[in-house]
Amino acid sequence: MKFRTNPGGRGLRTVLSGLLVMLLACAAALFAGSGAHAETKDEKTLTIAVSQEVDSLSPFLAVRRITTALGRLSYDFLTNYDPKTGKTIPALAESWTTSEDGLTWTYKIRDTKWTDGQPITAEDARWTFDTMMKDEAAATANGNFVENFESVSAPDPRTLEVKLKAPQATMLALDVPILPKHKWEGVGDYSKFNNDQEFPIVGSGPWVISAYEVNQSITLTPNKDFWRGAPKFDKLVFRYIDDSDAQVEALKAGEVDFVSGLTPAQAKALESADNITVNKAKGKRFQAITLNPGAKLQDGTAFGDGNKALQDPVVREALVRTIDREAIYKTAYGGFGEANGGYIPSRYKDYHWEPEGDAVIGFDTAKAGELLEGAGWVKGSDGIRAKGGTKLSFRFNVHADNPQYVQAAEMMREWAKEAGIDLKVEPVSEVGALLDAGTYDILTTGWSVNPDPDYILGINRCSGLPAKVGGPYLSDAYYCNPEYDKLYAAQLAELDQPKRAEIVKQMQEQLYKDNVFVVWGYADQLEAFRSDTIASMQPQPDPGGNYDSQDGYWSWWSATPVGEEDEAAGDSGGSSSGLMLGGGAVALAALAAGVVFLRRRGATAADDRE
Amino acid sequence: MTELPPSDAVPHLDEVRDRGDAPRGTGGAAVALADRRGRDDDRLRRNAAYLGKRLLGAAVSLVAVIFTSFFLFRIIPGDPVRVMTHGRPVTIEQKEALAREFGLDKPMLEQFVSYLLGVLRFDFGESFQYNRPVLSMVGERLGPTLLLVGASLAVSAALGLWLGVQGAWKHGSTADRVNTGVALTLWSVPSFWLGLILIVVFASGLGWFPTSGMKTPGVTGFDMVLDVAHHMVLPLVTLVAVVYAQYLLVMRSSLLDEMGSDYLTTARAKGLRDTEVKRQHALPNALLPTTTLVFINIGFVLFGAVLVETVFSWPGLGKLFYEGLSVPDLPLVQGLFVIFSAAVILMNLVSDLIYPLIDPRVRP
Amino acid sequence: MTSAASTANASPRQLTWARRRRAVGTFWSSYRQNRAGLFGLAVLAVFVLSALLVPWIVGEEALSVTRPPGEPLQPPSGEFWLGTDRSGRSVLDLILWGSRVSLTVGFAATFISIALGSLIGILAGHFSGWMSGLLLRITDWFLVMPTLVLAVALAAVLGRSLSTIVIAIGVTSWPTTARLVRAQTLAVEARPYIERARALGGGHWHVMTRHVLPNVMPIVLAQTTLMVAGAILTESTVAFLGLGDPTTPSWGSTIQAARDTGAVSSGMWWYILPPGIAIALVALAFTLCGRAIEAVLNPRLRSR
Repeated sequence: MKFRTNPGGRGLRTVLSGLLVMLLACAAALFAGSGAHAETKDEKTLTIAVSQEVDSLSPFLAVRRITTALGRLSYDFLTNYDPKTGKTIPALAESWTTSEDGLTWTYKIRDTKWTDGQPITAEDARWTFDTMMKDEAAATANGNFVENFESVSAPDPRTLEVKLKAPQATMLALDVPILPKHKWEGVGDYSKFNNDQEFPIVGSGPWVISAYEVNQSITLTPNKDFWRGAPKFDKLVFRYIDDSDAQVEALKAGEVDFVSGLTPAQAKALESADNITVNKAKGKRFQAITLNPGAKLQDGTAFGDGNKALQDPVVREALVRTIDREAIYKTAYGGFGEANGGYIPSRYKDYHWEPEGDAVIGFDTAKAGELLEGAGWVKGSDGIRAKGGTKLSFRFNVHADNPQYVQAAEMMREWAKEAGIDLKVEPVSEVGALLDAGTYDILTTGWSVNPDPDYILGINRCSGLPAKVGGPYLSDAYYCNPEYDKLYAAQLAELDQPKRAEIVKQMQEQLYKDNVFVVWGYADQLEAFRSDTIASMQPQPDPGGNYDSQDGYWSWWSATPVGEEDEAAGDSGGSSSGLMLGGGAVALAALAAGVVFLRRRGATAADDRE
Repeated sequence: MTELPPSDAVPHLDEVRDRGDAPRGTGGAAVALADRRGRDDDRLRRNAAYLGKRLLGAAVSLVAVIFTSFFLFRIIPGDPVRVMTHGRPVTIEQKEALAREFGLDKPMLEQFVSYLLGVLRFDFGESFQYNRPVLSMVGERLGPTLLLVGASLAVSAALGLWLGVQGAWKHGSTADRVNTGVALTLWSVPSFWLGLILIVVFASGLGWFPTSGMKTPGVTGFDMVLDVAHHMVLPLVTLVAVVYAQYLLVMRSSLLDEMGSDYLTTARAKGLRDTEVKRQHALPNALLPTTTLVFINIGFVLFGAVLVETVFSWPGLGKLFYEGLSVPDLPLVQGLFVIFSAAVILMNLVSDLIYPLIDPRVRP
Repeated sequence: MTSAASTANASPRQLTWARRRRAVGTFWSSYRQNRAGLFGLAVLAVFVLSALLVPWIVGEEALSVTRPPGEPLQPPSGEFWLGTDRSGRSVLDLILWGSRVSLTVGFAATFISIALGSLIGILAGHFSGWMSGLLLRITDWFLVMPTLVLAVALAAVLGRSLSTIVIAIGVTSWPTTARLVRAQTLAVEARPYIERARALGGGHWHVMTRHVLPNVMPIVLAQTTLMVAGAILTESTVAFLGLGDPTTPSWGSTIQAARDTGAVSSGMWWYILPPGIAIALVALAFTLCGRAIEAVLNPRLRSR
């Protein structure tokens, strides 16, 4: 069918005029909009794209990444983590001591002020912990930190004393925002209080939350009196952009200055974009699968309908041998990641362990076949191995919202088939229900690991198993090994760091050998920022670290605007940027930005080569 | 229940009402107003009965929706507590406390009764994720959604009607064919895909429009109005592009119908000028079905905006609903479901009630 | 052609068939005059052919993710006309395989929807009283339910697979058909010959299957083609919302995979454009066919 066009026809004019009206409307809005953008340029604003909505601005309730990060920025914690090494350093607590038996911890509280000018005292810290211990709602987000607390007291305004029920090695990793008692004690019901009625929010961190527009943006202003020094940008805005592509487009258009959670393809494409620097940080998360070893309750009662074959260690080992970790990170993660079977990511050098030599259970489908053959699993006519009526056919439930998991799962299905194992890849929105009922064979999983490994190790204890079917369960592997539990208790009580690290490594080796919790490796954290806005930022760890979701407030606190880097670094480019700021010449600014960009490009390229 | 003639007063509209997310058909198939041309005797009694029946029907639908909203989302497998706590250090006690707080430890029947009592007081409970009353969250986001949906309805109705009228006047002409062709093509395009392409071309490519969001943080006053308008262009164009076709087609075909009817021939025979006949007789009559369609559509465009809101990060209701589903944040999704469905029911009711008032042929 | 002489002594069965052949002939000759309809039909023919022949044209090994023919995310070249996807498979091959999946989904969902809709529509139109009232209520109830929500809930309950999507679309999209069919049934049953058939002792079953059904079939046919377009679009929407089956190469899940990869913002137009265009083309083709059929069946519309 052809539409004959008739340029002179009256009808076509109708069509054109229709389009014209729409275009005019757009154009009007366009120019109007650009007018609106013209102002607010003299203020240095750092805009971060975020995809999560705010759940609550109350640190007692906030559990999402975005809001826990906001808590970090606006309230100081007792301790912090060094940006370079990740080691514990003083924060609100200037120093601390432990009693002989390890049951009493005494913190000396720094003499500094809340953003409303009131002094911060040990009583504020005592009140915060005490409220979390006594009020169920206040324990919603961070109750786990005070689980082992016997009592908290503040003998004087500078001293905080915590008494424990049992020794614990994590007392310097209490990631709890200390709240101003004078603002909070009047709150009636903590489960209903979202801390979003009165702005700016009184806090003690480097940034002050000064405005919040639901589902659109959160604006922070610097705490000029912050004891570690005020942030350098005049404004920090977290802007809500849901779609990852839209985030990248906004970065390219200069609407935001920082984007995280890039896909490998986006990172590659942005590397060649103007005025944008891509950062590839070693991952904090591991990606893994768990094989159902037979779901059990704490009392040993088996439940669920996991394929019995997976209870056989040989089958599990054979299955693991069909996984080509290198290929997964090369293809699904675009080369941005590290294939590694260790439970604690390699960025945590002190605690990371990985198999070496003969201990490696590596990719070898032929060997997998031999192992199965030797154990009596014989191929049937359909190419799938079976023994005594049990088939090596497994349901493989994959988080459908994670494209890399899906891609890896499809690859694993093809490899497993070579060894005579049938994987039925079933993408699901949520594995929780399957897990709680024990009705799965293989699941994908991934956990973010903190600098202190205690929690991530603790989830795999036998005591973590559910007490009844459907009851609360922390982990997702139904792993239970008394040896592992003994090691766990030993590391928790060990206050000598190198010795503790040694035990932690033994635990990882045990996990690796058991092939229940099978780690693939650690995907890089891919981020990008506008190098014509941000001159420099502090990564964690340094070098090679990330800017987003740090343990600490380092990146946004240290971020230096382009044109002010001379104050920080004192290099020769200073005079020209001072001049251009004084004159306000837009062309010069662009030029300077270009120069800075080129210099930074050179620098990052050099970094990449290391 | 007895059958009254106008029980589906606008069947040829039903088939086009679902645009945005649901199966659809183009205008046409005027399946007949034939079987429902009522007789005029005892009109008052019939009117009352008609009104009563419509209201009753709407009430029954609403009750059904309220029941469905509760049970539908409870059959979705998924444990809100687990989803909300996954990946962070929590203790078993914290999880149990959450389940208690959500009321998930109570028997289903008890949960249902308290939900029902709440709904009667317009209280949909508190969102699991946001610790806030569902109703106030809806209040916050209703504005942006209404703005986008309202504007797109206005633009697409205006555009569709106007092009439809032009098409019918000059039916068979090149312009008519091009118009219909373009409309049908845009209508066949997945809206989210169109949105993405528009972002790439007009936002990041040409830089004419912002890529997403509703406003630039910190802009106030009249500038804010302009800023919002600027942000709204692309989402608006996307929604209009996929919606206006049905107005065009319905307008065009009802006008063609009218122009073929006897009374127009009579009017012409009486010596009235052709344009006058069209303006004064055909047009008003042909406007009726399209007007009704616009009403019926509000509810569905409201829900269809989910996709466009997601693509453009428009801070409206749609995204909220979708995020609630993945948890599932039961109070939130229940509340939104009831509100969306109630909007559809209300609009159906309105169109049912106004149709016989404005169309002399469809009278109870 | 059947001559008058041969029909004179033909059996009733043959007569019926002859009449039907003639009807199809007439139908085709007026359909042929609708150029848009022919265009739609031609496009459909191309897609249906590729869907049927794809196993022989490209073969199943083209879908392997561990032994892909190319490197991931390559732009179009002489070897890969539409470039490669995130695993290194040819996007063109994926689109061809996708036509199979998407058309299957479209037809299967439409079949469920049309069958349900026709059944309920005829029953509601034929019977009066409580039965009709109940069916109408159910229809109205489904009509006000947001289709997507139901589809999403069903997808969550039944697990993610093509059949789930088919069922979800089919189960949620029938009310439109039901109302159309009911209206037509009412119109048909008002005709005098139905009364004659009743008077001659024809039961409900007889009236519904012999008189009503053949008369509503044409309108159902038009509705069917329109609905396939809708179903294919809905499939892509469900995939967009992240509820599709990402392991099956439908057009919807290819778009979704492209989005997940970040193709939109990485300038990989060859990954995101083709599946969208394929969806739009097929949806348009079905719509054009549907309109053409409508125009043929309803002479009043023919001028449109």
